[in-house]
Amino acid sequence: MSRRKLARFTCIALCAVPLASMQTLARAEVIGAEQFMSVTDRRATVDRIDAVLAQSEVTKELERLGVDPDQTSARIAALSDQELQLLAHDLEELPAGGLLATIGVVFIVLLILELVGVIDIFKKS
Amino acid sequence: MIGACALGVAGCAGRLPQPALLSVDELTEVPFFPQTEYDCGPAALATILSAAGAAVTPAELIDAVYIEGLKGSLQAELLAATRRYDRLPIPVPTDPQSLLAEVASGRPVLVLQNLALERVPAWHYAVVVGFDASAERVVLRSGQERRRLERTRRFLRSWRLADHWGFVAARPGEIPTTATPDGYMRALLDAERVLADASTAAAYEAALARWPNDALVLFLTGTRKHAAGDLSAAAGLYRRALASEPSHAAARNNLANVLFEQGCLTEALREARAALRSVPPDGDFHAAIADTVRQIESSPASAAEPAACAPG
Repeated sequence: MSRRKLARFTCIALCAVPLASMQTLARAEVIGAEQFMSVTDRRATVDRIDAVLAQSEVTKELERLGVDPDQTSARIAALSDQELQLLAHDLEELPAGGLLATIGVVFIVLLILELVGVIDIFKKS
Repeated sequence: MIGACALGVAGCAGRLPQPALLSVDELTEVPFFPQTEYDCGPAALATILSAAGAAVTPAELIDAVYIEGLKGSLQAELLAATRRYDRLPIPVPTDPQSLLAEVASGRPVLVLQNLALERVPAWHYAVVVGFDASAERVVLRSGQERRRLERTRRFLRSWRLADHWGFVAARPGEIPTTATPDGYMRALLDAERVLADASTAAAYEAALARWPNDALVLFLTGTRKHAAGDLSAAAGLYRRALASEPSHAAARNNLANVLFEQGCLTEALREARAALRSVPPDGDFHAAIADTVRQIESSPASAAEPAACAPG
């Protein structure tokens, strides 16, 4: 994971400079919606280059985690650039809601943790 | 106003709830899709999409949001899948009042909950469909319970541990009660590649109708008309944006471009130079605006400008 990240950042660092200056030269004088919002967000050009790299990164991750390769491109196409980057950086650390809310199970887990002194959830905080 | 009391926020104890709100305290028509295994994401998403008129089942959504290796679904993918069903995912502000305001206005809210601990999280998606002020309960479609009554305090804790994350699915052309111009337009820009063309158009029109004097809404709608080649509509929208916010350099720059494309060189140059003067040399868009000025200056002046150019 960290090696891959390092490789990706190295690539961004190497690619960003020539691509960014290319963009400056080719810039249309009409200020488009995306460009306007990016600047008001203080997001750099690098972010948009990152999004392209993020796309292949997220595809690999999803497929490794068992997503059907037939589905990945449609799933990724519906993500915004920012969402793609978020997934590319921390996919496995992000909340993945999935719990079947059988409250009994959760309650028992909490009760055990309480009894062994890990938490004190049942006291008012 | 309503939410503070309904959710038992400190300071409200003992006050009577507003009677008018008791009639809309639960969206009983919202469908229920019981969760089977780890698919609370698909189930919750199917719930809000169906409530927003989309024909969908959790089984279909498994292919769109479920990740076997995580035994769950990611927040970003729930938003993405909402777009694929031609609905706009709009985040709900992080305060309980906003959550209740959306429910009171008829939109169920999909929320993330952490049912365990900050360090040992148990992530769960559910849908808020109502609240029972007198019993201090939140009504959820959750897991295998059609009508789960969760203690308000407990619900708020689980929601807080999930960073108060929640969103509504809006039909194109409908704007959620708690939406802001900035939040709505960002959601629309993120979605418009995926939405049907007619839906995108309806969403822009709705935004204009709801916020007719908002510079951001006017500017972005202007860029859309501009890109589609509708120069007179674009010019009108840029002018309205400038009327709301005279220092909007991007709108002035784009207006100069429209005028230039329309052959109105004199006025185009005046607007472009005014736009350039309004931004510092290291400011946003300075280079783009300088390009505009250069292009207009270097264009050969025509003998006569179209009659429509007379500044009005």
